[in-house]
Amino acid sequence: MSMTLLEFARGPALNLSLAIFVLGVVFRLVWLAFLPRAVDRSVARGRAGTVLRSAIGGFVSHMWPAKEYRARTMFSTVTGYVFHFGLAIIILFYAQHILVIEDLTGLKWGGLPTGIITIVSVITLAALLAMLVRRLTNPVLKTISTFTDYWSWFVTTLPVATGLLAMSHMFARYETLLAVHILSVCLLLVSFPFGKLMHAFLVFATRFQTTYFYSRRGSHI
Amino acid sequence: MELPMAGLGTVGEALSRQGVSRRSLLKYGSYLATLMALPAGSGRAIAQALADARRQSVIWLSFQECTGCIESLTRSYSPSVEEMIFNLISLDYQETLQAAAGHAAEAAREAAMEANRGDYVVVVDGSVSTLDNGIYSTAAGRTNLDVLRETARDAKAVIAIGTCASFGGLPAAQPNPTGAVPVTEIITDKPIINVPGCPPMPEVMAGTIAYLVTFGTIPDLDHLNRPKPFFGDTIHDRCYRRPFYEQGKFAKSFDDEGAREGWCLYEVGCKGPTTYNSCATMKWNGGTSFPIQSGHGCLGCSEPNFWDAGSFYSALPTRVGVDDRVLPAALAGGAVLGAGAALAARARKKAALQQQAGAVTGVSATREGSEA
Amino acid sequence: MADAVEREIRQHLAALAQHGTETTIDLRSLPLSDADRAALQELLGKGEVAATINAMGTSEIWETSHAGVWWVRHCGTEGQVMSELVEIAFVPEVLKADPADVKAAAEKWARKRDVIAVD
Repeated sequence: MSMTLLEFARGPALNLSLAIFVLGVVFRLVWLAFLPRAVDRSVARGRAGTVLRSAIGGFVSHMWPAKEYRARTMFSTVTGYVFHFGLAIIILFYAQHILVIEDLTGLKWGGLPTGIITIVSVITLAALLAMLVRRLTNPVLKTISTFTDYWSWFVTTLPVATGLLAMSHMFARYETLLAVHILSVCLLLVSFPFGKLMHAFLVFATRFQTTYFYSRRGSHI
Repeated sequence: MELPMAGLGTVGEALSRQGVSRRSLLKYGSYLATLMALPAGSGRAIAQALADARRQSVIWLSFQECTGCIESLTRSYSPSVEEMIFNLISLDYQETLQAAAGHAAEAAREAAMEANRGDYVVVVDGSVSTLDNGIYSTAAGRTNLDVLRETARDAKAVIAIGTCASFGGLPAAQPNPTGAVPVTEIITDKPIINVPGCPPMPEVMAGTIAYLVTFGTIPDLDHLNRPKPFFGDTIHDRCYRRPFYEQGKFAKSFDDEGAREGWCLYEVGCKGPTTYNSCATMKWNGGTSFPIQSGHGCLGCSEPNFWDAGSFYSALPTRVGVDDRVLPAALAGGAVLGAGAALAARARKKAALQQQAGAVTGVSATREGSEA
Repeated sequence: MADAVEREIRQHLAALAQHGTETTIDLRSLPLSDADRAALQELLGKGEVAATINAMGTSEIWETSHAGVWWVRHCGTEGQVMSELVEIAFVPEVLKADPADVKAAAEKWARKRDVIAVD
């Protein structure tokens, strides 16, 4: 008998895409960590401890837009937080996902009831759609958007949508829905290291680097 | 069990001979109607059609199998109900049940084929060995492959009983040493009904055969050729533990609080959500219980490749066919490649700086030279 | 759930009274729990007629407290329920002797008498 779609998704597809994900992410992180860097030859203003504190303070304060920009960026900031937290809740607290994490890492914890996950998923999907609409309607955002922006949105949204379908048991057989959901996650995993989705790891490095750079010069941003 | 004599009068005549009243037949008709979710009141119509139907000549071929399917059918909890099926058919060949042996048995098969050309039904249990022309499973000196092809040629329809005949089953599991295949891969020009299960439920086997005899047609089939009345819903859809799944209440092991509370067995590997069968509604042993009710997850025995689709105890969304070395290798590979790329960049930078320094020195040397 | 079935039975009974239309409801094909069926049985009550059939196990039939509404329970030889019906009819189908059975009985009897006569 030939392999069913679910067997393909759970087997070769998931194993291969996880391997690509791990290889790609580790490659980029190690590479970036050891790339030659220009030495900052300026004299630091303040002691090292003060600079570090200031840099961390800047990192934290940038988690919310400055007063001057707040009116303009409030929508995307709030919507962004909604779907990021939503994704975290779905990935970390849906019982079925915890099984996958346990299978991969051996770690496990308690999940949330399916009803709550469903509500969070719907809110997350709505937030992601709102982000797309904003990208398509805001003239500036539209102009600077490239294929990778849309692709990143697509591979992030697809697993949420297919996951909701799989939970609903609607429109197709469950084994097909589950297979399609797993395959959509495979697409996300394979895309992850090679585009803007790497920000999940790199946001800490880039934002800290920026705040540290300015703090060293005595500018508290 | 006593098998009815061969001969193809009507079912009604056969029943009268045995002193079985029409009331019994009507009762059986109601039972079949309930079983196959036919409109209420069709019990009478079924009984009438059955009484008038000619007994169906059946040739039952057993290939690479364990006899579990025929055991399930003949030793079912309520013999009188399932034995009814032997009044509907004339079982002209069945190696385990027939009295005849040797040449006489083969002669009975050939006689039935001759007498009912184009009108007999072939029932197959067991998968068919195809490797090296199928020499790994033979009976009466002939390969299963050969006998199946010959017997199916003039059949009206083929019923594949059990997961082995339907999908290859256990004999086809890795590494499939005999090249076992399901009936559908050998016979392609006849209607084939798959009745999978390891074993199938007796009611499902009997119901499928009864449907064929009653209506003279094959029931609605799904994409895997399974009769929809019995394989229309998943075990999960009809499971009495389903509410726990929705509430996220799962047994984490077979001996924890959740298991004792009767919570959902999804996390300990239940394949109910992807398995289509009637166990959750009809239940086994005359409606007594089914695996999940006994505290064990569904193995998915009526689905293709159930033996090779990962551990029975690994949850549905987790990986199958995992090589534990792949992810550590990916991690190490990523680290080595990343370090290599970074070192290469450092070397390039160093070379560029040296070249720059060299170029500066060279220029000054030339200048010095020209000046000299 | 039992209420819904009761409503359906009431409509069918009206149809039987007005037009003589007979109907059967298969209780085992409905999503009823054992408790639901027990509640329905309680709701319908028992009437004047009760019958037992011994054919391929026992069947119990009784008229409910509503004339023309019959409860039919077919059990197998081990006593397990094979099917359970509510028939809205003047006489439940399974109580009537089937013409084929009648014919067979008559012929058998006649043969017996012939044998005796010859002796």
